[in-house]
Amino acid sequence: MLARARGLVKSYRGADGRPVPVLAGVDLEAKAGEFLAIVGASGSGKSTLLNLLGLLEPADAGEVWFGEERVSHLSRRAQARVRGASIGYVFQSFLLISRMTALENVLLAGRYTGRDRRVATREAMALMERLGVAPRKDHYPPQLSGGEQQRVAYCRAVLNAAPLVLADEPTGSLDDDHARVILAELRGLCRERGTSVILVTHRPEAAAEADRVLRLRGGRFEAA
Amino acid sequence: MVGLTLRALVPRGYLFTVVGIAVGVAGLVALGAMAERITRFIEGGDRFVLGQISVAGEGMGMGTGFTAGGLLRAAKIAEIARVPGVAAVQPQVMLPLRTTTSQFLTLTQELVLGLDLTVPMPNRHYQELAVRAGRFLRPGDRGVVVLGSDFAASHKLGVGASLPVGGLTLTVVGVLDKTLTAPDRFAIVSIADARDLWLRRDPLLVQVFSSRPGDETNRLGRDDLNSGVAVAWSAGEDPDDVARRIQRAVTGVNVTIPSEVSRLLRESTAFFSALLFGIGVLGLVIGGLSLSNTVTAAVFERIGEFGIKRALGATDLHLLGEVLGEALGVSLSGGVAGAGLALAIGWLVDTRVVREGQQVFVFSPRLLAFALAFSVILGALAALYATLRIVRLSPAEAIRRGA
Repeated sequence: MLARARGLVKSYRGADGRPVPVLAGVDLEAKAGEFLAIVGASGSGKSTLLNLLGLLEPADAGEVWFGEERVSHLSRRAQARVRGASIGYVFQSFLLISRMTALENVLLAGRYTGRDRRVATREAMALMERLGVAPRKDHYPPQLSGGEQQRVAYCRAVLNAAPLVLADEPTGSLDDDHARVILAELRGLCRERGTSVILVTHRPEAAAEADRVLRLRGGRFEAA
Repeated sequence: MVGLTLRALVPRGYLFTVVGIAVGVAGLVALGAMAERITRFIEGGDRFVLGQISVAGEGMGMGTGFTAGGLLRAAKIAEIARVPGVAAVQPQVMLPLRTTTSQFLTLTQELVLGLDLTVPMPNRHYQELAVRAGRFLRPGDRGVVVLGSDFAASHKLGVGASLPVGGLTLTVVGVLDKTLTAPDRFAIVSIADARDLWLRRDPLLVQVFSSRPGDETNRLGRDDLNSGVAVAWSAGEDPDDVARRIQRAVTGVNVTIPSEVSRLLRESTAFFSALLFGIGVLGLVIGGLSLSNTVTAAVFERIGEFGIKRALGATDLHLLGEVLGEALGVSLSGGVAGAGLALAIGWLVDTRVVREGQQVFVFSPRLLAFALAFSVILGALAALYATLRIVRLSPAEAIRRGA
């Protein structure tokens, strides 16, 4: 088992100061090479679950494991190491840094993991070539279309060949053609690299690509 | 070329931060340069009074001078010269340039100083006054004048020009280098010319000078017309001791004790010192707040970027290192730009007011070095503070706030 979550609980403070429960004890397992889709209504906690699995924020209760390591309880520094080496993220709003070029954004993934810059640049260029954004490598994000930005963000997410890729509505801001490219890439990751992909989506056709679909409702999974 | 250099110095997205810092540093440097100007004036006066013993005759005042007192007659000067420890005595006449206006504002007072050049300049700290144009006075000179730089500028006079004073017309033979203290506003003439001027201007003195015919003992001669003397002490002597010796040995004179005059000078300039301190504090507060606020805002503006970087594996130390590196570069660029801006403002203002014989700013190397160090250190501290605040957030929270 590549990644597993046990009893994840999370609530946010509401406008009146009272806690608003989002996740009420979620269990999840993802195997290596598995394409897992999480669906649910808006506000059902899909993105929050992805954040907890990706160590982007702490759970109120519960555990996250990578293999045999309980990563949810590691120090901040150790969690940063896990994020850099083992997890790739694709976000709906791309989250590219606007003052960096497309290539610099992709290479950012290698900066904090101690990768040789020349090797990383070669691999980044190959990835960008494959996704058709190499000619735009020196452009800044505001100079790119939405589809191009998402492809650049995808290159950044997979540059380190992380065993787990978390994709939060990666096709939410894209037209159908660009969405198909990203979904095909994610699918290919699972098949060719054995990467485990957890996809949060509201698109039925995106969920249809998945090996398994989980539906969140009321802070827990129900059978899809 | 300039664009490339700027791009290399200033990380992308930091232009407005650099401009903000530059404005703060420019304020700091400009206020500091004004404070420096006042300091130079006070320090110059202090160096002067510590460099000689000034003696005037007993009384309430003749003309004006470094020492309050009356006429100092030639016989008294000879007595002073005989006091053990005295190396040289230079008779002087000091007169206000304008007799019709109050001279209470000593910062802007213009004076005529008559020197007896047969005696070497006795002041240990001003044995030579550097000349910017022309030459200094020579023994035997008559009808000529050497002007302080502010005096020359305000009267628009250069070498060869004429200066009419109290019925005399003096020819300018030299203009001094700027000293940033009293001599900048002096017109230096031979003591013989100064005595002539004094007699022409003071009708009462003419009566006294020509009175008591036949009373040879008390009759005034031209050599008696001295508003004071500057006394040099012999090597190895303590100037205060020599001054007290003169006090004891020569009756009917006012003697300044150098260390006491220095203390009195500092007391009398306490207002300026307080003003100076206030300007300095004001400069630090205004410049510091502007700079730290700009840097902190610039870092907080990047909160989302920090969230993304932490999602990609950046540790707190990675981010601190990156921010500090950028903050140093940005603060230094802003500091240099601010210092340049202040220099430009100072140049513009001084170019305007120098025509009136004033200089408002002194940009000393120590001031510029302090401003740069201040901007870099404060910039780094502000960046450090902002980063430490941001890294306490989870990456997801930082991304949310950045959005």
